[in-house]
Amino acid sequence: MISFLVRRTAWMVVTLWIVFTASFLLMRAVPGGPFSQERKVDRDVRRNLEKRYKLDQPLYRQYWTNLVDTVRYRDLGPSMKLKDYTVNEIIAQGFPVSASLGILALSLALAVGLTSGTVAALRRQRLLDVTVMGIATVGIAVPNFWLAGVSIVLFVFVWPLLPAAGWGSPAQLVLPVVCLAAPYAAYIARLTRTGMLDVLSQDYIRTAQAKGLAPHRIVIHHALRGAVLPVVSFLGPAVAAILTGSLVIEQIFFLPGLGRAFISAALQRDYPVAMGLVLIYTIILYVMNMVVDISYRVLDPRVKLS
Amino acid sequence: MPATGRSLFPYFAIALLAAGLAWATSFSTLPPADFTFVNGTEVESVDPARVTGSPEGRIITALFEGLYRPDPKTLQPLEAVALRHEVSDDNKVYTFHLRKDAKWSDRDGTPVTAHDFAWSWLRLLHPETGSQYAFLLTECVVNAKKYQSGPDVGDPVEVELADRKNPLEPHPHGTLLAGKLISIVKAPKPTFGPTDSDVGKERLLDEWTDKWVYTVEIEGKGRQFCKKPELVNPKLEKCAQVLLDRQQVGIKALNDWQFQVRLISPTPYFVYLTQFYPLFPVQRACVERYGYPGWVKEEHIVTNGAYQMEFRKARNRIRLRKNPRYWDAANVKIEVADALAVESSATGLNMYLEGQVDWTPAPPPAVITKLRERDDYYGEASLTIAFYRVNVTRSKNKPLDNVLVRRALNMAIDKQALCDNLLRAGQKPARSFVPPGLDGYEPALCREYDVKKAQQLLSEAGYPGGRGIDSVEILYNSSGDHGTSAEFIGDCWRKNLGLKVSYRSLEWGTYLSTVDKLGYDISRSGWTGDYPDPNTFLNLFVSHGEQNQTGWKNPQYDKLIEAAGRETDPQRRMRIFHDAEVILMDELPIIPIYSYVIVNMVKPYVHGFYANAQDVHPLRDLWIDQTEREKYLERSKRR
Repeated sequence: MISFLVRRTAWMVVTLWIVFTASFLLMRAVPGGPFSQERKVDRDVRRNLEKRYKLDQPLYRQYWTNLVDTVRYRDLGPSMKLKDYTVNEIIAQGFPVSASLGILALSLALAVGLTSGTVAALRRQRLLDVTVMGIATVGIAVPNFWLAGVSIVLFVFVWPLLPAAGWGSPAQLVLPVVCLAAPYAAYIARLTRTGMLDVLSQDYIRTAQAKGLAPHRIVIHHALRGAVLPVVSFLGPAVAAILTGSLVIEQIFFLPGLGRAFISAALQRDYPVAMGLVLIYTIILYVMNMVVDISYRVLDPRVKLS
Repeated sequence: MPATGRSLFPYFAIALLAAGLAWATSFSTLPPADFTFVNGTEVESVDPARVTGSPEGRIITALFEGLYRPDPKTLQPLEAVALRHEVSDDNKVYTFHLRKDAKWSDRDGTPVTAHDFAWSWLRLLHPETGSQYAFLLTECVVNAKKYQSGPDVGDPVEVELADRKNPLEPHPHGTLLAGKLISIVKAPKPTFGPTDSDVGKERLLDEWTDKWVYTVEIEGKGRQFCKKPELVNPKLEKCAQVLLDRQQVGIKALNDWQFQVRLISPTPYFVYLTQFYPLFPVQRACVERYGYPGWVKEEHIVTNGAYQMEFRKARNRIRLRKNPRYWDAANVKIEVADALAVESSATGLNMYLEGQVDWTPAPPPAVITKLRERDDYYGEASLTIAFYRVNVTRSKNKPLDNVLVRRALNMAIDKQALCDNLLRAGQKPARSFVPPGLDGYEPALCREYDVKKAQQLLSEAGYPGGRGIDSVEILYNSSGDHGTSAEFIGDCWRKNLGLKVSYRSLEWGTYLSTVDKLGYDISRSGWTGDYPDPNTFLNLFVSHGEQNQTGWKNPQYDKLIEAAGRETDPQRRMRIFHDAEVILMDELPIIPIYSYVIVNMVKPYVHGFYANAQDVHPLRDLWIDQTEREKYLERSKRR
C-alpha cells in the first residue's frame, strides 16, 4: 500500500513536469500574444509590459524561471489579463465555486443514477427499464447548453420559480446543478444497470437467494457493492472534470468558477492562468485516479494494488 | 486491508459525501445592492493607467474623478475637481483652477491637489507604466513624447539609479540625479537578415538600447551610466532609466490649486480628454506605499470619485459604496451599486428581464429587433465605425491601386440591405469614415449604392465585367459574425461586378499582424473614436500613421490634417477636417460599411440615464425612484 502510494506520487511528479513542459511550449507556439490588439502598442510600452511578465527573456530562461517559481514558491505569477490578480488568487476565488457546484451535481447524479440504474436492472426488459434507459440515452445525447436554455425558458420565464443566473443563494444553484448533473446521472444509470445485471447472475447472489434473504437485502448488501465498480472507475475522471468547472454552465448561469477562467485564459493567451489551471486539473485527475484504485481494492477483495 | 475496512467503506463514502454537501451549500448571502448592472467581461484592472476597455471605464469613472466630468446627456464638460480653466491667447496653455473641497477617501481625507494630477499624468507617461493610452498626452502635451521615449543629447535629464526596492515597480523611484545629457554612445545599430522574425528584430533592438552608454553632467562632473553595464563595461554606473527632466514636460502644478498644461499646438478637444479615465488622478501616497497590484486591492485603494470599492470578486462582482468624502456626495443618490462581470450578453439580458439587474448594455444582436419596440430600450449611434481596408499596394491582376476599382467596389455594396437583413441590430449604413453626430462636423460622403455606375467605373478602369482581375480575398478575424458580413459583401461584388472573391478567417492575434504587414487584399476593420472629435478618426490615415495599414499615401491629405492641428478657429478647423475627409472618401483606401449602434436596456424606474455617442453613463448621475420601482415590481409580478 505504502509503496503503491510512493510510486504513484513519483509518477505524478513526472507527469506534472511533462504536462508543464508541453503546455509551456504549446502556448507559446500559438501565434499572437497577450498584448495583441487592434491599436498598436508603442515599442517602449510593449517592451515594459513584456519585462513585467518576463516575456522579454529567451524561451529557455522563461521556461526555467517559470518552473522554479512554480515548484519552489508555488507561485504561478501575476495574471496577464486580470492584471490586478495573481494566478493563485484567481484559483483561490474560482475553485470553491466550481467545487461546490461539482459536489452538488455529482451527489445528485449519483443519487439519481444509482437508484434508476438499479431499478432498471431489477425490472429488466419491462416498461420501467425501457423508459429509464430511454431517458438516460437522451440525457447523454442532449448537450447541456440546450438543457440549460430550455430550463431557463421554462422555470424562469414561463413559470417564474427560479432566478435566471447568479451565485450566492441556494435557489440560484438549482438550475445549474441539475443541468450539470443530467449527463452524469444518465451515464451513471447506464453503468449501474449493466453492473447490476452482471452481478445478479453471479453464484453468490444465487446463494443469498437460496438462503432466503429478502430481495432488498440482497440488492443493497450484496449486489450493489459489486455493481458500483464500473461507476467508481468512471467517477475518477468525472470528479476531476466536474470540480474544475464547466465552461458552458458557468457562462450561461453567470457563476464565477474556473471553467470560465480556463477558456478566457486560453483565448486571450493569459499564459500563467492557463498553465495554473492545466496543472490543477492534472493534479486532481491524478489524485482521483489514485483514490479510485484504492477504493477498488476496498470494494473488491480480488483486486491487488500493484 | 482488513475486512472491517471493507464493511465500513460505504458509511465512510456516505459521510464524505455529506460533509462535501454541507460545505457546498454553506453560503454567506450578500445583502442586495440598491442598483445592479451588467458590466460585461471582467475588468482587467481598476488602475486608470493600465486599461483600455469600456467595462473598466464604467468602474474607474465611479471610483475616480478627473478635472472635468461629462454631462450625461450632452457630454459637455461639467465642473469636477476643476472649477474652471483659462486658455492662453495662443490656445496652447491651459491653467485649471481646482476646487479646494475635493478629498481623497483615505482616513485623513487628504485634499486632491494639482500635485496629484501632475504626478498621475507623469505616471501615465512613464515608459514602465506601460499605458496604452499614454498617446492621449504624447500627441498633444509639450515634451510628453520625449519623456516617454527618451531624451536627446543636450537635454536636461534625470537619471534614476538601479536601487529600487522592487525593480519592476516604476513607483516609488530609486534615487534620482538631475543633470544634463552630454552624449549617448551607441554600438552600431543591429542589421536584420531577411529571415529575422518581427519578434527577433524587436529583441535585437531592445538588447541594443540596453547597451547605450549615457554620459551625464551632474553637479559639474561627467558620469557614465548604462542600463546593463555587465554587457558593456562593468565600470559604468548601472541605472534604471535616463529620462527627460520632468520639469521640461508641459505638465505642472503651479501651486496646490492651479494645474498648468502646455500643449504643442492648439487642441480644441483637450478639455474632453480630461473627462476620460486615463487622465484621472491616483493618490501618490497609496500607490507608493502598496505598489502595484497591492494599491488597487479593496483594503488599500484610495479614490477621489463618488464611490469606493467595498469588495471585488474575480469574474463575479465589484461592489461600490458611496464615498462620504466626495465633494458632491449630497447629490449622489445611489448608496450601494453592484457591477456584475457577466460575459454572455444573453445571460445579461435574462437577468435583466427577470429583474435581477437594473441595467444591461449590449443585448444579443439577434433579439434587438424585438427589444426595439420596448420603452426601456436606449439606442444611439456610436463613435464606432465598421470599415474595410483596401490594400492599395496590390496592383496588376489585383488592381486595388486603381482608384476607379476602389470606387466601384464601394458602389457595389448594398450596405442598406446588409444592415436591414443581415445585421439587424440597428446599425446604420455608412458613407463617411467619421460617424455622423459629432458636434459641428459635417462628414464628407462617398458615393451611394449604384450597381450600374459601379459596373461603368470598372469598365472605365479597363476591367469590364471583372475580366482581368484575379480572385480578391477578404480577410476577417474569426470571432463574432464578421464572416457572414464578409460573405454578404463578397457576394455583392461577385453578383454586381463579376469579381471572384475568396475569404480568409484568422484568429485575432494572427489577423492583426497580417493586416499590419499588408498581407491582405481587403480586410475587415473597426475603429472607435477616443474622444468626440474628427481627429481621432482622420488622423489614422496620414501617410506614415501607424494605423494606416493600407499603403495609401496622400501628401495633400497629410497637409490638411496637419493644418487642422494648428488651426485655432473651431469652425475653420472642422472645415479643414471636412476637406481632408473629402479626399479620403474620394480615394477610398478604406470603404466605410456601417456605424454601430449602442444599445442599453434600463429599467423605467432608473432616472438620469441618457443615450449618448460615447456610451458614458456615470453612476453618480443615476437615481432610482423607489415608489416607481415598487409599482413596477408589483406589475411584473402580476404578469
